[in-house]
Amino acid sequence: MEIHVERHTTVTVVRIAGSVDGLTADTLLAALQAEVDGGHVRLVGDLSAVDYTSSAGLRALLATVKQARQKGGDFRLAGAVPQVSRVLEMSGFTSILKMYEEVEVALASFGS
Amino acid sequence: MSAADGGAPRVALVIGAGSVKCAAALGLWRVLKREGIDIDLVVGCSGGSIYAGVMALGLGVEECEEMTHGLWRREITERADWRSMLGALFPKLFGFNGRLGMVHDAPLLKALSTPFGGRDFAETKIPLHVVATDLANGEQVTLSEGSILNAIRASVAIPYVWQPWKVGERWLLDGCLSAPLPVDVAMREGADLILAMGFESPYPRRIRSGTRYAFQINSIYTNNLLRANYAFHNLAHHAEIIPVLPEFGENIGLFDTHKFPYVIEQGERAMEAQLPYLKQLLATA
Repeated sequence: MEIHVERHTTVTVVRIAGSVDGLTADTLLAALQAEVDGGHVRLVGDLSAVDYTSSAGLRALLATVKQARQKGGDFRLAGAVPQVSRVLEMSGFTSILKMYEEVEVALASFGS
Repeated sequence: MSAADGGAPRVALVIGAGSVKCAAALGLWRVLKREGIDIDLVVGCSGGSIYAGVMALGLGVEECEEMTHGLWRREITERADWRSMLGALFPKLFGFNGRLGMVHDAPLLKALSTPFGGRDFAETKIPLHVVATDLANGEQVTLSEGSILNAIRASVAIPYVWQPWKVGERWLLDGCLSAPLPVDVAMREGADLILAMGFESPYPRRIRSGTRYAFQINSIYTNNLLRANYAFHNLAHHAEIIPVLPEFGENIGLFDTHKFPYVIEQGERAMEAQLPYLKQLLATA
């Protein structure tokens, strides 16, 4: 898994590549938590290069959503490919998270 | 022994409700056999319980494919249960026993008897759990002992189609009414890795009859229940759920037996997509 953090004016984009699963969940959660702890609570997760996800990976994403919202921000997802999108949908993510097709749209959704 | 005890992870296979589409489990199974990956327990619901049953009994993949052709025949739904329907429509005249099934279950029982007649849970090579639903209170009921035929007959009791089936003191209905994809049973039985093969009911383009309308309503309920249950169990437990979700580009009718090779192939593909991760998990355990 590769994680690349990109800071924009008021929003941070976390670009994730590879699998979001039980073998990578801890690494991902640590990276996302570092952002939230550092005060970067308006986050966009770019999933366009994520090709696989399982329950442990989803739990890492959900934990970040909770933490970001508790601190007044949000963690929004963008660019999920169909096979990832299907699992997110089955897992109820689409009803509790804001998801976008494009990162730019997710960025804009936070306003200025 | 489980991952928590420092041993190998316990791997469970859960096959959800999905009528004829459940034959995709044979494709999944073919992949596991080919890769030498053993399953520690198997859980089935509704149509999925049939495949869970034959796997647990240790039948070969080819044998199961043959059984599939023998089972899904028009005969199993062709004989109407007039006594039940008249009782429901004219209760004062014919008496209503509190249970309804439009189709007589004798042909179904005959078909299920081939693989399961006289077979008991105690005979299975791997532990088997079959999920049904209590008609009286809606509770999810997990059957893990006694007659396999009884358990599967109860689990496939599609509402309005086949009458509920009595197991012990309870009248049981289709497991999909309480747990269309019962990963919770695998969790309770101590599974660390759960291969969850689930199916959503299709929505037809047009609803042409009252029966189709009833099926549509049933699909709406069970699809929403599937997602709600899956979402909860996916996030609420430490066990790793690996979703195995076959994609069907075409509609699969109840008696489209000529599509079995396609259904099985889609199951195989869905499992193959999960294989690299599963192998990694097993290798690192």
